Amino acid sequence: MNLTQETQNQTTTLHAQGRLDFEAAGHFQQELEKSVASAATDGNALLIDCGSLEYVSSAGLRVFLVAARAAKAANVPFAVYALTPAVKEVFDVSGFARIIDVLGDRAGALEKVGRHA
Amino acid sequence: MISLTEELTLLAVEDDGRIAYTAGSPNFAMALIGACIVDLNKAGRVDADLAGLNVLSAEPTGLAAQDRVLEVIAAGPQQTTERWVLELQGDSPDLVRMTLGQLQKRGILHQAEKRFLWALRARRYPIDDGGKEQKEAKLRILGALLSDGLPTPDDSMLIGLAVAGGLLEAFLSKSEVARLAERIAEIGGLDLVVRAVEAAIRADAEVRAHAIMLSIH
Repeated sequence: MNLTQETQNQTTTLHAQGRLDFEAAGHFQQELEKSVASAATDGNALLIDCGSLEYVSSAGLRVFLVAARAAKAANVPFAVYALTPAVKEVFDVSGFARIIDVLGDRAGALEKVGRHA
Repeated sequence: MISLTEELTLLAVEDDGRIAYTAGSPNFAMALIGACIVDLNKAGRVDADLAGLNVLSAEPTGLAAQDRVLEVIAAGPQQTTERWVLELQGDSPDLVRMTLGQLQKRGILHQAEKRFLWALRARRYPIDDGGKEQKEAKLRILGALLSDGLPTPDDSMLIGLAVAGGLLEAFLSKSEVARLAERIAEIGGLDLVVRAVEAAIRADAEVRAHAIMLSIH
């Protein structure tokens, strides 16, 4: 799994690419925790771009909950967007879509976290 | 830290050491198997997705119940988590026994024979640690349900499996459970394995209902 990060207009975006399974979950969690901490320090919002995320397993899914919880605790506006159909199905079935802000595209995600493109 | 399987089993132990009658139900059996699978997932032995349950490593974890489940899954066909939960439910009495054994090893409870009506004997599992682990599990469930924050993955799975296994009513009144229903639905079981347990319970109930209908006609 590949992760790249960019920050602009007080918004940190993590672009996730590939497969988020048990093997990748540990690294993904570490990176997300770092991003939440730095977003909190800098007063940024945090978005996860899932447009190139092909697969999420049970182990991978939990990392999103850990991140959303950490973001909420740190008052960091948080949303995920552009889920592929396979990943969206996992979010829907597990119930994550009810507790995490899941948006169709970047513009919607930016609006949700109170930022502008 | 005790495993999810141990926590769930501990919730089924009543104050006087009796095992709650719900622990004999198919729903509890399937929730317990789900807990074993979650523990195996957290230990890196299996991983679940919507298509199936994948074995990553068949190396034992050292926990008897979880290792029994791992052994069966590793030797079996590739199939969904729901299918595994349904197929393994017959093993649940052994899995409960193994988990109670594990809790005894940890000094959390002990086994005692109690006589009643002079001759009949009943096995009890009085809790030894001052009820610390059991209280902690109950407090975590209540804390997550009564707050408006996001739960930890562990708390969410514990709530989901406790609800699926019918254990919430062991320490909450029916009216409290009803009052918390919306919150339970929101944060309980945010996990593919727990959702598979819920699906297995629905499928099992349908089969049983169908069998009853057939017996009537």
